[in-house]
Amino acid sequence: MAQTENSSRDRILERIRTGLRTVVPEPAATISDRVIFEPVNNPLERFQQECVANLMECSLTADCAASARQLSKVLQSLPEGETFVQDDPSLRRLIELAAPGRAIRWSSQGAPGEASQATVTLAEALIAQTGSILVTASCGGRSASVIAPCHIVYATVAQLVPDLAMALSGASQQRSLDRNSFACVISGSSRTADIEKILVQGAHGPRRLVVILQTAT
Amino acid sequence: MSTTAAQRFLQDAAVKSADLVHRELIRRGMESYDAAHLKGRARIKDWEAARQKCQEIKREAINHLDRYLLQFEEKVVSRGGHVFWAANGEEACTYVKDLATRLGVRTVVKSKSMVTEEIHLSPALEKVGIKVWETDFGEFIVQLRDEPPYHIVTPAMHLNRGQIAKLFREKLDPEIDSDDPAYLMAAARRKLRQAFFAAEMGISGANFLVADTGVIAISTNEGNGRLCTSIPRIHVVVTGIEKVIPRLEDLAVLWPVLATSGTGQGITTYSTLIGGPRRPGEVDGPEEFHVVLVDNGRSQLLADAEQREVLHCIRCGACLNICPVFRHVGGHTYGTTYPGPIGSVLTPHLAGIKEFKHLSYASSLCGACSSVCPVKIDLHHHLLQNRRNATEAGATKSSERLMFRAWRSAMLHPRIYALGGWSMRRALRMIYGLGLAGSIFDPMRVWNRHRSPVPLPSQSFRARWRKGLGTN
Repeated sequence: MAQTENSSRDRILERIRTGLRTVVPEPAATISDRVIFEPVNNPLERFQQECVANLMECSLTADCAASARQLSKVLQSLPEGETFVQDDPSLRRLIELAAPGRAIRWSSQGAPGEASQATVTLAEALIAQTGSILVTASCGGRSASVIAPCHIVYATVAQLVPDLAMALSGASQQRSLDRNSFACVISGSSRTADIEKILVQGAHGPRRLVVILQTAT
Repeated sequence: MSTTAAQRFLQDAAVKSADLVHRELIRRGMESYDAAHLKGRARIKDWEAARQKCQEIKREAINHLDRYLLQFEEKVVSRGGHVFWAANGEEACTYVKDLATRLGVRTVVKSKSMVTEEIHLSPALEKVGIKVWETDFGEFIVQLRDEPPYHIVTPAMHLNRGQIAKLFREKLDPEIDSDDPAYLMAAARRKLRQAFFAAEMGISGANFLVADTGVIAISTNEGNGRLCTSIPRIHVVVTGIEKVIPRLEDLAVLWPVLATSGTGQGITTYSTLIGGPRRPGEVDGPEEFHVVLVDNGRSQLLADAEQREVLHCIRCGACLNICPVFRHVGGHTYGTTYPGPIGSVLTPHLAGIKEFKHLSYASSLCGACSSVCPVKIDLHHHLLQNRRNATEAGATKSSERLMFRAWRSAMLHPRIYALGGWSMRRALRMIYGLGLAGSIFDPMRVWNRHRSPVPLPSQSFRARWRKGLGTN
C-alpha cells in the first residue's frame, strides 16, 4: 500500500479523538417516516420534463434507425470538424448509419482533442427525478462529456431510474466506483451566472447536451 | 498606524453601506437568488425533513470523524491515490509546493476551493514561480483584480458587466468591445482553454468526501472543475477534514439540498465523483491523485460541545444571502476568508477570538441565517456564545468593562439609575436644542449621525409607570 509519508497524521487523529471525548447530546432521529422527495411515478415523463427545465435536448426515438436519423440531424447542425465517439459496438453501428463520411475519433484512439465539435457517448443510467445522465470513465473517459461544444448521449428507456437514491445505490451495489476512477451526474449543459446572475450557457463545457432516448433496446 | 480588524470592518462597512451602486447590484443579485431559492425549495416535498436528514448525516460523520476519515483514506490509497494530513495551512502549502516542484509543474489550473483561499495556497505556489490560473469564471475575474472572493459561491457578484468588460480590456485583450455576459464568458473560456491544456497540475476542493466509497464529490456548473480534474497529469484535492460523509447514498439528499441552498437549482450541473488516478484502460485522467486533508483548527472545534455543529457546514452560502448585515456591508468588509454569519462564527475559532470577536456583533441576531441553514446550524446562538466567550476570555476593552461595571452598579441602585436617566434627558435635550445631534458632543452620536434623533420622553419610564402607562 503506497502510504504517503505523513508526520501530522497521528497528531491530527489524536486531536480528533480527544475532541470527540466531549459528549454532545444527540437528539433522536425523527424523520424516518417523512418523505423528502415526491415519488416519481412516471420516470419517462418526469425525465422529459426535467430535461426541458435543465435546458437539455431530449428526443425520443423508436429504434436504432430512428436514433441514427436523429444523430445525423444533430451532427449536421454542427460546424465541420472531428467528432469523438466512445468505442462501443452500439455506437459503431449508429455512427455507420448516421455519419458515414464524418471524421471520427474513437475513444480507443485516445482522449478527445480540444478541437472536437461533438462527443457521442453512452450513459450508465438516466435519472428521472433530476433529468440527469450518469456517466463514468467507461463512457469514453473523463473529458468526453465536457470538452466539446456539444455532447450527445445515446441511451435507452430501460436505463431510466426514478431517482438519485436509486442511481447511487445502483452504483454502490455494482461497485461502479471501484471499476471507474470517475463518475458524474450531469444535469444540463455547462453554465454560469457569475455576471449579474445572468444565465450563460456553454461556460467551460458543452453549450448543448443532447439525449437520444430510444424506446426499444 | 496599523488598524485592527475591527476598525477596518467599521470603516469598510460605512463606505460600502453608503455605496449606492454596490447596494443596487447586491439587491438585484439577492432578489434573483431569493426567487430561485424559494422555487427550488418548493420542488422538494418536505424541505424541513430534508434539512433534518442533512443535519443527521453530517452529525453522524462529525461524531465519528476519525473512523470515516480512515475509511476514506484506506479506499483512496488502495486505488493508488495519496492522502496527506496537514495540521495547518503551512503544512498543506508545503506539501503541494514540494509535490509541484518534484514533478516539474510550471502551470496549475484551479477550480474554486475556499480551503485553498483559507490557507493562501495560490500565493505560496506563485512565490516559487508556478503560474496559477483560477478557472471558475467568478474566481478568474477576482484573480485578475487581485482581490479575494466576495462571496463563497458567487465570487464576483459585487461587479457589474461594465466593470468586468473594462477589466478584461485592460488585462486580457484590448479588443474586447462588448459587455454582454456571454461574450465575456467566451473570452475567458478561450484564455482558460489554453491554461487547461498547458497545466501539469489541477487543484480542486471537494464538497464531500465519501467514506464508504473513497471518492471525493465536487459540484460545479461551469465544467471548469471537470477540466481541472481530467486534463492535467496530476490532480490535487485540498479540502477540510470536516467534509467527510458516511455513505454514497447520502448524496441523494445532500446534492439537491446543497444546490437548492446555493443557487436554487434542483441539482448542480456537474455532480462529479473521483476516487483515484486514471485506471488502466481508461481513456484519460491524471496519473497522480493526491488528497490533502486540512485540519487548521477544525479538530479543536470538536471539543466544543456547544459549537461542534459548526463543522456541519456545507458552504452553500445561504446564510450570507439572507443576512441583512451581509446585504448591506458586502463580502469584502468582513476581511475574512469566510464572510457572513458562518464566517463570523467560524473565524474566531480559526484565526483567534481576540482579533475577530467584533464579527459576533456584526449581527442583529435576527436568526434568519439559522432559519435557512440546510444543515440546521444554530448560527445566531453561536454568535451570542462567541460574544460570551470573548468576554470570558478577557478579550474586551477596559473601557467596555468599566462601562458595564457602572451599568451594573446603577441597575442595583435605583436612585443612581433614576439620577442617570434624569441627567441624560436634560443633557440630550440641551444638545438637540443646540442642533448638535450627531456631533462629537452627542453621547448618542453612533445612532444620531446617520439618523434623526429619537424624540425624548418628557418623563422617565418610572414616572409614567407610577401614573399608569395605559392612561398616558
